[in-house]
Amino acid sequence: MLVFIVSFVNFIWFIFLLFLTQNILKTVTIPFLSFTMKLMKDYIWKGRGIYMKKLWMMAILTLLVFVVACGDQSADSEADSGEGGGDWEPEQNIEIVAPSGAGGGWDTTARSVGKIMEEEGIVDTDIGVVNKPGGGGAVGWSYINSTNDPHNLFVSSPPLIFVPLNGQSDLSYEDFTPLSNMIADYGAFAVSEDAEWDNLNDLFDDMKEDPSSVTVVGASSPGSMDHMQFIKIAKAAGVDIQEIKYVSEQDGGALTQILNGSADVYSTGVAETVEQVKAGKIKVLGVTAEERLDGEVLSDFETAKEQGIDATFVNWRGFFGPKDMDPAAVAYYEEKFKEVSDSDTFAELRDQYGWDEMYMNSEEYQEFLKEQNDELGSLLEELGLGQ
Amino acid sequence: MLKTMNQKISVFLILFGIGYLYLSYNLKEYPYVPVDSDLVPKALGYLLVGLAVLLFFDKSSETEEQKKKRSVPKKELMVILAVGGMIFLYIFLFEIVGFLIATALFIFFCSWFLGYNRWVSNLLVSLIFPSVLYYLFNYLLQIRLPQGILPF
Amino acid sequence: MGALDGLMQGFQVAFSLQGIMFVLIGVVTGTLIGMMPGLGPISAIAIMIPVTYGMDPSAALVMMAGVYYGAVFGGSTSSILLNAPGISGTVATAFDGYPMAQRGEAGKALAIAAISSFTGGTVSVVLLMLFAPALAQVAVSFGPPQYFALMFLGLTAISSLSEGSTIKALIAATLGFIAATIGMDAQTGTTRFTFGTPNLIEGIDFLVIALGLFAIAEVCFLIINRKDKSLSKQSDIGNLKLSKEDLKEMKGPMTRQSFLGFILGVLPGAGATIASFIGYITEKRIAKKPEEFGKGSVRGVAAPETANNAATSGAFVPLLSLGIPGSGTTAVMLGAFLVLGIQPGPLLVQDRPEVFWGIIASMYIGNVFLLILNLPLIPYIAKILKISRPMLISLVIIFSLIGVYSISFSTFDLYLLLIFGVIGYLMRLFSFPAAPFILAFILGGMMEQALRQALTASGGNLAILVSDPISISLLIVSALSFVVPLIRIRKKDATQD
Repeated sequence: MLVFIVSFVNFIWFIFLLFLTQNILKTVTIPFLSFTMKLMKDYIWKGRGIYMKKLWMMAILTLLVFVVACGDQSADSEADSGEGGGDWEPEQNIEIVAPSGAGGGWDTTARSVGKIMEEEGIVDTDIGVVNKPGGGGAVGWSYINSTNDPHNLFVSSPPLIFVPLNGQSDLSYEDFTPLSNMIADYGAFAVSEDAEWDNLNDLFDDMKEDPSSVTVVGASSPGSMDHMQFIKIAKAAGVDIQEIKYVSEQDGGALTQILNGSADVYSTGVAETVEQVKAGKIKVLGVTAEERLDGEVLSDFETAKEQGIDATFVNWRGFFGPKDMDPAAVAYYEEKFKEVSDSDTFAELRDQYGWDEMYMNSEEYQEFLKEQNDELGSLLEELGLGQ
Repeated sequence: MLKTMNQKISVFLILFGIGYLYLSYNLKEYPYVPVDSDLVPKALGYLLVGLAVLLFFDKSSETEEQKKKRSVPKKELMVILAVGGMIFLYIFLFEIVGFLIATALFIFFCSWFLGYNRWVSNLLVSLIFPSVLYYLFNYLLQIRLPQGILPF
Repeated sequence: MGALDGLMQGFQVAFSLQGIMFVLIGVVTGTLIGMMPGLGPISAIAIMIPVTYGMDPSAALVMMAGVYYGAVFGGSTSSILLNAPGISGTVATAFDGYPMAQRGEAGKALAIAAISSFTGGTVSVVLLMLFAPALAQVAVSFGPPQYFALMFLGLTAISSLSEGSTIKALIAATLGFIAATIGMDAQTGTTRFTFGTPNLIEGIDFLVIALGLFAIAEVCFLIINRKDKSLSKQSDIGNLKLSKEDLKEMKGPMTRQSFLGFILGVLPGAGATIASFIGYITEKRIAKKPEEFGKGSVRGVAAPETANNAATSGAFVPLLSLGIPGSGTTAVMLGAFLVLGIQPGPLLVQDRPEVFWGIIASMYIGNVFLLILNLPLIPYIAKILKISRPMLISLVIIFSLIGVYSISFSTFDLYLLLIFGVIGYLMRLFSFPAAPFILAFILGGMMEQALRQALTASGGNLAILVSDPISISLLIVSALSFVVPLIRIRKKDATQD
């Protein structure tokens, strides 16, 4: 609240200053200073093309600035190394990178976890969230990889597996240190309320006969989350996955396509379906969780497993650091993230977003990721999408 | 042969179109959709080449006004290039020395270079403007601009 | 509960002291953020989400909605004064707003923008209030074939955006479309023309192109003319008062675009940017003097400004009545709803009427605030033009660069901005219009995706594109809009011979 008032006042102040410098000062310029300046200028510039001189001077200055900057940076990196073992405490502000623009799932997670850490005093230093969008995450990952600073962390989820497997990034989960997983979310397959199918088996029976009679729609592109969670379950059910028709709709129109019949099955996250199910617009045929979920409406959704299809898909979300992190730093972060995960505020937040608690420490996380990577890699291989 | 400006541009566009088409024909195939990702780029490539050919034979000459717009004195062109170079340097230094220093230097020198002679107000604007902007972004909007070599 | 009771409850929320205060904070923040090139409502709302955590939901949402339409309102300012669009929805405003400011009528242009924004905003809120639940049907009636037809209709209008050579306009449009094909293709996951850099995988940001082609290219001309005294009248703000003729001119576009913009806003994916372009084109099409467009026409400012504000309210229809976010900004707002413990969806109007109607009612107040805040401020804001040329040039460059950086946080996009600045300058030197480029960039990408979604679903059968009345009629209109001008030209030629 206060923040906005202050920001407003500041803006006015800034505009005011601009005019102040422009209008008032030109009449009240300190004569002495301008006179010396003029003398200097005349002296230096006498007789040559004015632009060339200005250019030269600037070139020299930028060079100077650059040299100073480089010198400073190398000094920095020297100071950073040379530690190891023992306790680790952050020496400067922690920076959490959300490898996406403002407002997405990564951004929300990073900002809320950062806020809880700061406000509940879990971490003493400041925590800043930095957006590095681009390449489905790849730009942010290469930023972390190149800065290689234990104070720079990032938030990630299954795209960290998918994007490298699809050949869109040279960096994969193995190039980073998993710190802690925080939450899990699950996929849901929804159809229009008046669709002929009532459960996954109905749907997959039809698809086994003619896979191309059904159009699946999701928000991600082929080879990524919404597509692959469907492929994974469908394969376990015995559908020919090479024949599945998948349409990607990234402008928020995926649900619309189900409602107006342009597509048949909506592959998405569980949370996105709840309100629509309550309103009787769509029905959920199955979810990809291991066990029944808790919560109003949510507990009505049958899992794929309960329907005899032995497959699950987890949309995990957690925090990572650069490769080869000091074990003491890893231990430090593990502990802090655990504290966040156990806090009441975070529990409340999980409820609001419909996320599940799924804390994993660094070691468990590493193993989990390897499993995921192998499993999804072979699926992509079969589709001919893997690289 | 290349007499009019249109013809020169047309040749450039045809070359560009051919390069684009070449890349389009080398796109990776994806077997599961009826219309693959190369269809639209190919169509656009041919369209561009076709339109460029039409432009080549376009008889309509430029109006006087358009010609006048294009006749930029050499010296002014140098100034534009220099400003372009400054922007380039600014971007280059942006994340290295940080927003504050880079912006202050840019505003000061760019304005000066373009003939802004009021030293004091130039100095003040180039110091105060970036500081206020930096404060606004980093602390109020929580959008981090690169801090660079400064400690804040 | 009837809509009327609900609305009464909504007005109670909006007219409470708390409500008024938050609307005010929202619209003021929004206007300021909108004025800054690049910085748009998405980032502003995303940043507010953690701040509003734990606040009264209706107050918080009323404020965020205020930021959203406030930004669209304020975005026109920098489009008009600096040719640097504040947000993507106000790119089309620069087409005529900037020439008008150059003529020494900046004050008039800003006043037209403010009044049309207010009209568009207010009329569409009335529509939103009356038809929100009913219009939900419209929002879901558009599938890929209909979107294809709609985008196609927009693209056929390109020839009307040309000044002079039609071939050049078409080439510019083709190049714009080509720029849209850069990046990962959503339907196959194939990366196209990225040359191996991850920075291009998500495509080029619209604002990079808009700021490059408009603001940076314009800077080049400002540099050349920086000593030209004959242009000093540019720094005149001119008279703020609109003449009777001006108001008469504005009446048509404002009425039509309030409705058209609203409908386009309702459609998920279309949004304020497309609405403003289509608003501009349709007005140019039906204008008696289309040649005035692009040179500072009153209608040319009124049309996109009405349309983008109307579309902003329209975007609340799918969000509030279906829980479907139709644009990037409403997607972030959906996140804000969730944090505040509210599920937007078909049941919102029953479960939380005070939120549903509170937001709608607050938009009336918000629009009035925006008008009374903006009109008196115009002379002061327009003073920006009084800044001496060399300094103004540096500041415009910095604003554009920071604007782009605050979206992408990468210097790669800054280099791209510079490149598009060069392209924009060359295009203007050789008389290639920039408007078709930018229109094809935004419509082309969506058209390709819609076409291929439709064909994937139909298994490659083209018949799907003409399978229902909406798409057929849209395609017929596009065919007509292509043919009719040709006939006109023929006739003109015939009479001349």
